[in-house]
Amino acid sequence: MLPRRAWLAGGAVIAALPAIAHAETSWPAQPIRLVVPFAPGGTTDLAARLVAQGLGARLGQPVVVENKPGAGSTLGAAQVAQAAPDGLTLVVSNIASHAIAPSLYRELRYHPLRDFTHIALLIETPSVFVANPHFAPRGLAEVVRLSREQPRGLDVASSGSGSSNHLLIVQFGQVTGARVNHVPYRGAGPAMTDVIADVVPMMSDSLPSASGHLRGGAVRGMAVASAARHPGFPALPTFREQGVDLVSNSWFGISGPAGLPPAVTGRLNREINAVLAEPATQRRFAELGGLVSPLSPAAYAEFIAGEVARWAPIVQASGARVE
Amino acid sequence: MDILGNLAHGFSVALSVNNLLFALIGALIGTAIGVLPGIGPVATISLLLPITFGQPATTAIIMLAGIYYGAQYGGSTTAILLNLPGEISSVVTTLEGYKMARNGRAGAALATSALSSFFAGTVATIVVAGSGPLLTSVALSFGPADYFSLMLLGLIISAVLAQGSVVKSIGMVVFGVALGLVGTDVQTGQQRFTFGIPELSDGISFVALAMGMFGIAEIILNLEKPEARSVLKTEVGSLWLTREELRRATPSTLRGTMVGTVLGILPGGGAALSSFGSYMMERKVSKNRHLFGTGAIEGVAGPEAANNAAAQTSFIPLLTLGIPANAVMALMVGALIIQGIQPGPRMVEAQPDLFWGLIASMWIGNVMLLIINLPMIGMWVKLLQVPYKFLYPAILVFCCIGAYSVNNNVFDVYSTIIFAVFGYMCNKLKLEPAPMLIGFVLGPMMEEHLRRAMLLSRGDVMVFIERPISASMLAIGAIALAAMLLPNLRKGKEAALTG
Amino acid sequence: MKINAKDVASGVLLILIAATGLWLNGDHSLGSARRMGPGYMPMLVFWAQMGLGTIVLALAFFNGPDPLEKWTGLDASMLIISIIVGTAVGLAAPYLSSFFESSYGSLGLGMLAGFLVLAYAAGWRLLAFICAAMCAFCLLLEKGGLMLSLAATIGIACLAEPEHRARPLGVLGITIFLLAMCWWIFIKQLDIRVAVWPLQY
Repeated sequence: MLPRRAWLAGGAVIAALPAIAHAETSWPAQPIRLVVPFAPGGTTDLAARLVAQGLGARLGQPVVVENKPGAGSTLGAAQVAQAAPDGLTLVVSNIASHAIAPSLYRELRYHPLRDFTHIALLIETPSVFVANPHFAPRGLAEVVRLSREQPRGLDVASSGSGSSNHLLIVQFGQVTGARVNHVPYRGAGPAMTDVIADVVPMMSDSLPSASGHLRGGAVRGMAVASAARHPGFPALPTFREQGVDLVSNSWFGISGPAGLPPAVTGRLNREINAVLAEPATQRRFAELGGLVSPLSPAAYAEFIAGEVARWAPIVQASGARVE
Repeated sequence: MDILGNLAHGFSVALSVNNLLFALIGALIGTAIGVLPGIGPVATISLLLPITFGQPATTAIIMLAGIYYGAQYGGSTTAILLNLPGEISSVVTTLEGYKMARNGRAGAALATSALSSFFAGTVATIVVAGSGPLLTSVALSFGPADYFSLMLLGLIISAVLAQGSVVKSIGMVVFGVALGLVGTDVQTGQQRFTFGIPELSDGISFVALAMGMFGIAEIILNLEKPEARSVLKTEVGSLWLTREELRRATPSTLRGTMVGTVLGILPGGGAALSSFGSYMMERKVSKNRHLFGTGAIEGVAGPEAANNAAAQTSFIPLLTLGIPANAVMALMVGALIIQGIQPGPRMVEAQPDLFWGLIASMWIGNVMLLIINLPMIGMWVKLLQVPYKFLYPAILVFCCIGAYSVNNNVFDVYSTIIFAVFGYMCNKLKLEPAPMLIGFVLGPMMEEHLRRAMLLSRGDVMVFIERPISASMLAIGAIALAAMLLPNLRKGKEAALTG
Repeated sequence: MKINAKDVASGVLLILIAATGLWLNGDHSLGSARRMGPGYMPMLVFWAQMGLGTIVLALAFFNGPDPLEKWTGLDASMLIISIIVGTAVGLAAPYLSSFFESSYGSLGLGMLAGFLVLAYAAGWRLLAFICAAMCAFCLLLEKGGLMLSLAATIGIACLAEPEHRARPLGVLGITIFLLAMCWWIFIKQLDIRVAVWPLQY
C-alpha cells in the first residue's frame, strides 16, 4: 500500500549502475542507517534526507534516515558512537553534538573526536540577527546604543539555550558591550512568531530558518555572521562590515563510529562529495541558505577539533551548563 | 466574490486525477495510522517525506494534509472502541465515547465522530479560505502573559468540571503539570528530575503516559471484571444515530466547531486546548450535562468537531505567516522547502495553485474521509464482538510496538509499563487520569509562557492584570474557582451534574 | 466511622509525591521572580500539590465510608518479596552477561523477575502478567528481533487469562495469527526500523 518500498526498490535499480563501476568492494551489503539526531522537518533533517537519497543511489543500497532527537542532539550521536564500525550506521554530526555539547554537558557519553570516524562536512549556514520591521535601529551600532539607553536592556530571542544562535548573542554582548537580555524559546518557529508579533524586537536565528521571512519582508535583517555577504542576500551586511568582529557558522556533516575501515571512509567521502557537487543538491542547499563545503575526512576531523576548542571559552562565558 | 473565484480555481487544481488520487492515498494512510496506537502522523509523514520529492509541491502537500486529518479521524476510532488515545485530542473522546461503546452505542459514537468532524471540517475550510489573514492578527495579539492565563484558565476549568471529587482532580492536574516539567529546562538547559537518564531529557513521552494510564490499565481492569466484558459481546445496538441522539449532538457540534476554529489558530497550545475546551463547555452548557460520565453523545460530538476544526485552522499560521503551529505543520514546512517553496505571507500571491488547491483539497479530503469511514463503522463495531480474550493480546502487542516506534527506543515501553501500574492504582483510588493528562500537556507550555512573561516584564506580576486578554481569562478562572469553593454553590453544581 | 479509605490513600500519595518532588527540587536553583531558575515552577507546583493532598486527606475523614479492596496476606507479602527479588535480579544482571549492561537490559530483567514473582499472588496476577509480557518484549526486541519478542509477549500475556492456560493450542493459534498480522502491518506496510529476526543487527 505504501509506495515507500517501491521507491526504495526503484532507487536500488538506478543505483545498480554505479555499483558495477565500484565492483572492487562488496561494501555495503545491507541498507545503511543514517541517524539524524533532530526531529523531522528541520533544516538538518531536510538536508540529510536530500543527501541520503543521492548517496543511496550511488552506493547501491538505500540509505535510510532514522530520526533520533533528544538531549541537544547528543542522544543520537551517543547511539552511533556505540554502534559497530561496519559503515552501516552513520550519524549527522553537527555543531550542537560535536562542538558545543562537549563544553556544555558535564557528563557526555562520548568524546567528539576519539569515539567517531569523521567522514565529510555537508553544509555550513551562518547565523543572522533579524528584527521586527518597526524596530528603530538600522544597524548594529544603533542597536548597541539603544540597548545602553534602555534601563532594562534590549530583549533578544533565540531558538534555545546553548544553541550557537544563543551563544552569538552572548558574544555580541561581550564584544560590543551591548546590554542584551536573552529570551530563550523552544525552537526557532515560536521565537520568530514573537518577533513578527513584536513581543521581542530582535532575534538571533540561523539563515535557513529565517530566509523565508526575510524574503517575505516579515522581518528585517540586521547582520549576517558570515565572513562575507551571502550570495542569496547581497543587501544584508555582515557583522564585520559593521565593526563587530564576529563570525558564527553552524554546520553539519556525516560521521560514523570510531574505527571505520579507511576504504569505507574514503568511499563514503568520495560519494558524499559527488552528491554535493550535483547541480540539484547545490541548488537546494543554496535555497536553504547554506554553503556547500566539501572536505576530506582528515580535514573534517581537524575542522571539528578546531570547533571544539573555539566554543569551549564561549560556552564557559555564557554560564550555560548541563549536569 | 473574489473568494469564490479563488475557490473555484482551487477546486480545479484539487480535482485533477493525480491530486485526487494522492488525497485518497493520504486519507487512507492517515486513517490506518490513526487507528494504530502510538504511530502518529509525525512519524508517518517523516517516513513518507522522501516519496513527495518526486511529486509536484501541490500534490505532495495535499497528500501530507490528507494523512494529518485522516489520523485525527482514525485516532477517535481506537479511543472509542478500546479506550486507547493515540493523540492528545483523542484523550477527551475516550471519556464519553468509550462509555458509549460500553453501553452498546459504539456505532452511534463512531458515526457522531465522523459526522461532526465532517461538519466542522467544512466550516473550518470556509473560515480558512475567507478570513485566514484576518485571524492571523488575532493569534499575533496573544502575548506570553495571555497564553499563560489562557492555559491556567483551561486547567482550572478542567479540574472544576472533572468527575468525582474536585479537590482530587485538581491534585491530579497539578501532578500532571509536575510530570510535564521532567526533562531539560528550556531556559537554562538544566536537567530536572531526570535521574541521569538521557531519554528523560526531552521529557516523559506523551504516548507512554497516555497508553499506560488508559490503554494498558484498561486491559488489566477489563480482565479483572469478566462481567464487564460480556456486555461488549452481547449488546452492539443499532449502528446509526437515533433521531434523539441526532437532536442532542447537533448543538454540541456547532459549539465545538466554534471553539475549535478559534483555538486552532493559536500556535502551540491551541489545538491541544480545543477538544478539552469543547468538552468543558459541553459539560457546562449542555441540556444533558447530568449524563456526562455515563456516555453522553454531546461529549463526543463537541470535542470531535472541535479537534477537526482546529486541525484545519492550524494551517492558517502556516499559510499566512509560514509559522508551523505544531510538529506536523513543521514537517509541512519541510516538505515545501524541499520543493523550493518558502511558506510565508507571500505564498498566496506567489503560489495561488498551491494555496487554493490545498484549501479545496481540505474539503475534498473531508468528504473522502466520510466516505471511507462511514461504511467501515460496521466493521469496527464487529471488532468489539471478538471475544476479549482474543482481543487483549492484540491490543497489548500493538501498544508495545507503538510505544517503541515513537523514538525507536525500548525506554518508552518501560515507561508505559510504569504508567500502566500507576494508572491501575489511580483507578483503585478513584483518582481521575484525564485531568492529569491535561496538566501534563499544558504544564510545560504554561511554565514557558510564565517565565517569558516575567522576563519581559522584568519581574512585574502586574503584567497579567494590565493586559486585557490576560485579565479577562484570569477573571473567568477566579469566578469558576469561587463558584467551586463557596459550599452552597458547590452543592448546587453537584446536584446539577448528578441529578 | 465515615473514613474514606480511598481518599486517605490518595491524599497520602499526593503528599508523598510532592514531598519527594520538593526534596529533589533542592538541586535546582530557584532564581528570582524576574529570571526564574529551573526550580521555581516545580517549587510552586509541588507546594500546590502538597496543599491539595492535605485537603484531600482532611476531607477523607468526613465523606466516607469508601473502603479499599481487601488484600490477602499473600498479596501483601508477595508484593514485598517481588520488590526484593526484582531489585536483586536487576542489580545482579550486569554480572550475568554483558548484554544487560546496555539498553536498560538489567532494568528489564529485574522488572520481569519482580512481576513474575508477583504473579504468584492471585490478587496481583493480571497486572503482573501483563506487565511481565511487556518487559519480555523490551528485553528480546533488539537482539531477538520482532517475531521472537512478540511471541514471548503474547505467550506471557495469555497466562493472565484462565481460559488460555487451559488451551495451549489456542494460544499458539493466536500467536501465529498476531505475528503474521504484525509482520504485514509494521514490516511490510509501515516499514518501521526494527530487527525482524534474531541476530539481524
